[in-house]
Amino acid sequence: MIEEIRNKAKELLETKTVDCVIGYEPATDNLTSRPVFIYEPSQVNRLIFDETCVHNLSKYLINRRYKPTGIVAKPCDTRGINLLLNEKQLRRENLFIIGVVCSGIRKVRFNQIENSMPTKCQYCSQHTPVIYDFLVGEPVTEAPTHNYSDITEIENMSPAQRKAFWSEHFDRCIRCYGCRQVCAGCYCYECFGDELDPLWVGIRIAPGENWVWNTVRAFHLSARCIACGECEHICPVNIPLMLVNRKLEKDTLHLFDFEPGIDTEIVPPFATYKKEDKLGTGE
Amino acid sequence: MARVGVFVCHCGTNIAGVVNIPEVLEAAEKMPMVVSATDNKYSCSEPGQASIREAIIENNLNRVIVAACSPRMHEITFRRALASAGLNPYLLEMANIREQCSWVHSDNKEIATNKAIEIIKMAVAKVIRHEPLYPRQVGITKRALVIGGGITGIQTALDIANAGYGVVLVEREPSIGGRMAQLDKTFPTLDCSACILTPKMVDLSQHPKIKLMTYAEVKKVTGFIGNFEVEILHKAKKVDHLKCIGCGICWQKCPEKVPSEFDLGLGKRTAIYIPFAQAVPPKPVIDLSHCRYTKYLTWVATGQEGKKPPECRICEKLCPTAAIAWDQEEQLFTEKFGTIVVATGYQTYDYSHYKEYGSRDFADVITGLQLERLMSASGPTGGEVTRLSDGSHPKTVAFVCCVGSRDQQRGRPYCSKVCCMYTAKQAIMLKEHDPEVQCYIFYIDVRAGGKDFEEFYLRAIDEAGVIYIKGRPSKIYQDGKKLIVLGEDTLMGRPVEIPVDLVVLATGMEPSAGADELARNLNISYDTYNFMVEAHPKLRPVETHTDGIFVAGACVGPRDIPECVAQGSAAAAKVAALFSQDTLTTEPLIAVVNQARCIGCLLCVTICPFKAVDYQTTQDGRLIAATNESLCKGCGLCIAACRPKAIDLRGFTNQQILDEVAGLWL
Repeated sequence: MIEEIRNKAKELLETKTVDCVIGYEPATDNLTSRPVFIYEPSQVNRLIFDETCVHNLSKYLINRRYKPTGIVAKPCDTRGINLLLNEKQLRRENLFIIGVVCSGIRKVRFNQIENSMPTKCQYCSQHTPVIYDFLVGEPVTEAPTHNYSDITEIENMSPAQRKAFWSEHFDRCIRCYGCRQVCAGCYCYECFGDELDPLWVGIRIAPGENWVWNTVRAFHLSARCIACGECEHICPVNIPLMLVNRKLEKDTLHLFDFEPGIDTEIVPPFATYKKEDKLGTGE
Repeated sequence: MARVGVFVCHCGTNIAGVVNIPEVLEAAEKMPMVVSATDNKYSCSEPGQASIREAIIENNLNRVIVAACSPRMHEITFRRALASAGLNPYLLEMANIREQCSWVHSDNKEIATNKAIEIIKMAVAKVIRHEPLYPRQVGITKRALVIGGGITGIQTALDIANAGYGVVLVEREPSIGGRMAQLDKTFPTLDCSACILTPKMVDLSQHPKIKLMTYAEVKKVTGFIGNFEVEILHKAKKVDHLKCIGCGICWQKCPEKVPSEFDLGLGKRTAIYIPFAQAVPPKPVIDLSHCRYTKYLTWVATGQEGKKPPECRICEKLCPTAAIAWDQEEQLFTEKFGTIVVATGYQTYDYSHYKEYGSRDFADVITGLQLERLMSASGPTGGEVTRLSDGSHPKTVAFVCCVGSRDQQRGRPYCSKVCCMYTAKQAIMLKEHDPEVQCYIFYIDVRAGGKDFEEFYLRAIDEAGVIYIKGRPSKIYQDGKKLIVLGEDTLMGRPVEIPVDLVVLATGMEPSAGADELARNLNISYDTYNFMVEAHPKLRPVETHTDGIFVAGACVGPRDIPECVAQGSAAAAKVAALFSQDTLTTEPLIAVVNQARCIGCLLCVTICPFKAVDYQTTQDGRLIAATNESLCKGCGLCIAACRPKAIDLRGFTNQQILDEVAGLWL
């Protein structure tokens, strides 16, 4: 598997199809992995792929949108690429996607790899990349299924319980904006969270402002979040952001029969109207 | 520094009866930047406006709040008052303390007063951030496009042309005339339909200001009021209409006979044809799906499989002017127009969903429009009403009203409006054709609202001896040569079973096929049944929400002929009024893009219902959105969709809205 990635990367760099291949290399702790940018064919042996390759590399493509680039992408990452293509942020002709079949990665803690999978992988059944030029691994033919048992649990809470649940998490938020920085869907030049004129979110780190940040962040990602789980992975105070994201994902799926990032060309549900669209609550 | 003047209106007792005005004035005076707060009995009256003008000059005001009714009522009035006092009219803010306060809180005066104060507080916060705005002028192409050549379109085109402006009328069929040309007589006067329609058709074809494009369709519409660009597809007629003299030898001699669409399948036409004798233009087109020579060419092109079709070309051989043009292809032309009038009309409901009425299985169950063709002297039977099964003359006829109308189970809950009258008309006419005929009409309600309609309905009962039975038949079935209509007389409360020779289903109206697609192309709204939606059902009945596009006739909803004509003329008057100006003034309350902040996701381009957002490519290759000032209606959808908040609505900027909200806590 790793050999295939290395060979392809070498070929791409040697033939000058791309200037750079974005992939993973072992991190300095000799345990986990980290992103790497390979520019020379001689360097391709640094590339690896294993159960610790958690990062969604598609975000890096935005800065290289005008340069031919190769990328090693898991299925969730390819959905990110599709989202960016759909939103005109990337050019397909500048991309070479080495899609990797993925059956889930491992939770990584400081100096140890856990045996369990992160939330995003526990509920994920998209094991084959949705867009690729070269596929590594055997494609999984069975159609992806959806499991929202964790979301139903939250939905069944009373509003007061739900508020208490989220208050506990959001009150903890330090608004480091790490969730935004890693998110493939967050690429505004000036985020509303940074904007001063008008001031959408107060600068204080206070519960009210934290709520505003976390809700608006979620709304900006509704029908766009591709469930790569990077925000939750990076959050220093462990806010279960995937619960928010997956609630939005569930609603867009059930109301509009739409999954972000599955198709490159599809018009997002909030920009179109179909007679079959449901109204949501009360139906 | 903003100097705000607050003018609180009593609106008689509408506001003052609920809201404590002195208390509101007292509170308003203390709000930030408010210089004066006064009240008026009626701010919109001339003395009221004068007091606003005087206060502006006296107190040197530069922002004005009128706390009164909804801006939809009087915003323009007060803008004018500002302008006459030398202020930019867009420095006005209306605080709605009537519809949104006194009317809805009349039960609790204290709360209403508090709410009025808070509404004014929000308005103050917003008005401070108002900036002077200036409308823009755009030129107009003084040429109108009329889509649809039925009676509505004909009337519209004639009226616009008579006002002195150029008109292009596009009709997708080979002839204009529409549904009215298919009718025999019109209710309630029993005028011959063709006799009153054909003179208009001829007028139209000979009018120097009107360009007629038959066998053509509107494919794409871009641009905005005064400056539309329309792509019109001219279908291949295969006949050079400049050469053709309409002698008729081709359609007399063409050997290929096919069911006539004009006669609703009851008669035959040839492959090269004009739809009916008085067709305008009186020149034929070749129906390529049936033409023998075309079939031969297809056979040659697909590898000559099967039996060789005859290489006919009889029309070409007989044509005295060599007008047959086999090399003619469909062509796309782009033309410029200032306005567009949509008059695409209706079609009758396809009753094949009505299994209980035979779903088209019984030869002697026909539709009202088919009966029109049978009764018409130019129809397939030369005006003799005969049964399709055996050619005999029917002696008992049952009419069934509301087929495809007022039927929620079939998704057609609306009333088609004309069926009550046309069944009465047809029953009267049948009696006139043959005094022995007995007609039964099954109805839900007889709706005879219209000039002379009730009298006409009574005439059907009194003179033609029609028996009206209240109830929708449950089943129609064949029994020997007779059709049995099974139903219930709900007034008598007993079942009825009537053997008849002919059943006529009064099928309802639905919009012409493709109306929804056209509406999407034009960017105008349409309802669940694909009827076009007018801007206001009472006060703006022929306008749409897209400026410069008008709708008229049965494409908006079921209409009879006089209404269609009236609407056609109404639309023409609107067009003429528009063309009487040399330039158009556009509203400055529109969306503007901050291009430095735009990330080029182009969601706004997809989301804009008015096609007002387009994109540009910057020098460094970035895509950025750009709004068209003439097309933008200021609806704000793009602003809601824009994540980086790169779009702002003039007069309703993000900052203003936030200040309004924040104003509540200050």
